[in-house]
Amino acid sequence: MSRLGIALLALAAAGLLAGEDFTFTLASPVAAQDFRFKMAAFVFRTEGCAEPAKPEVTATAEGVVAGVRRSVAVQVMATGKPGIFAVGQTWPPEGKWLVNLKGVCGAHRAGALVPMNEKGFIRESAKFFPRPATTGEIEASLKAHSEGGKK
Amino acid sequence: MNPSNLNPSKLEQFGASMLEHLPPVKAPDRIWTAVEAALDRPPVRRRRWTHLLVPLAAAAALVYWAIPRHGVRWDVVRIHGAEHVTGKIAAGQWIETDGGSRATVTVGSIGTVDVSPNTKLRVVATKPGDHRFALSRGEIHATISAPPRLFFVETASGTAVDLGCEYSLRSGEDGEGLLQVTRGWVSFQWNGVESLVPAGASCRTRAEGGPGIPYFDDASESFRQALDNPTSLDTVLSAARARDTLSLWHLLWRVPPADRARVYDRMAALTPVPEGVSRDLALRLDPATLARWKDELAWTW
Repeated sequence: MSRLGIALLALAAAGLLAGEDFTFTLASPVAAQDFRFKMAAFVFRTEGCAEPAKPEVTATAEGVVAGVRRSVAVQVMATGKPGIFAVGQTWPPEGKWLVNLKGVCGAHRAGALVPMNEKGFIRESAKFFPRPATTGEIEASLKAHSEGGKK
Repeated sequence: MNPSNLNPSKLEQFGASMLEHLPPVKAPDRIWTAVEAALDRPPVRRRRWTHLLVPLAAAAALVYWAIPRHGVRWDVVRIHGAEHVTGKIAAGQWIETDGGSRATVTVGSIGTVDVSPNTKLRVVATKPGDHRFALSRGEIHATISAPPRLFFVETASGTAVDLGCEYSLRSGEDGEGLLQVTRGWVSFQWNGVESLVPAGASCRTRAEGGPGIPYFDDASESFRQALDNPTSLDTVLSAARARDTLSLWHLLWRVPPADRARVYDRMAALTPVPEGVSRDLALRLDPATLARWKDELAWTW
């Protein structure tokens, strides 16, 4: 492989790594250390964004209730600490739901699918992406969640 | 405190607290002499305001009567079967339930306390900055929405300090009991020993021993039992999951110094040690270092 080829490969790898650096860390509301968010469904923080105050984050709840597919807008609340957000529960208690998180930090993107149950979020079943989750990934995760699996 | 910055309810609380500190002062005799002299005079233009004297005096008496001299009184509902009796309760008064009754106290504007059957509870303070009960025996469930350190429950084995939370607290007269937190954080303190208990975790309280080591409710039975036995450190360390660093973090403070490094090393093996936490400082129980570590560990709890 030529030197130019190696350099291009290294640049591509570096770009991929940089993109993967921007992601989310999920936690129980206690991690926010802020009583105002104790009722949150969960909290998360952005990782790998050079300016933690800058990331833009949005979310929707995707669910199935009595066999009917539903989408609900989700309230993402900035806490007093840069890069730390709380997700309020806006979806109904019945049915199976997951939260689709999307983040933007400059040129970088991040996504996560966070299955929920009556006790909160299911950490071990959460999926993370270096971009927003695709429709196919959302539907597959929701199907797995509805069937009780960890796909 | 600048009263002009307060909202109406805070202003009311501020006014009430100011009134509590005003000593009663007898009016000088010359005031009554002047009042009587004025009443004896024939009606003149002053009649326009003197006719307000009686209602004003009545209103002043009503305000004096309505504002308690020993802090704000809280609403309480006593429930016995289908019967609900509402009332007020002030600092120094007791709530006692038997096997067939319970009660609910509205704690100022910050939350509620449900009192279970067979419980004896005293209201200690009803001040805006100090909402305080003493649980003599039995069980309560507190739902509080307020900044930290405004709500306290004293027991024979220590004091539960609300850090913005919802929890159940059971205690016997000897102090043996259990704290179970369902939302937020509770700090349980006794003689300089503190246990920080987050949502999903519990902490036993012990007579003459204060708070035990907190543990998550989904921890294994062997782990939980070993926490109560000082000679079972090997079991605790081997059975710990990443989430059980809650317990290990508290153990760091309480194991003999010779065992501290083993606890640290197990924690470091379960979760990455964050930047700013040095082994040396952690083993020396540097408060800032351990607080930093605890805040980071909370992201795995």
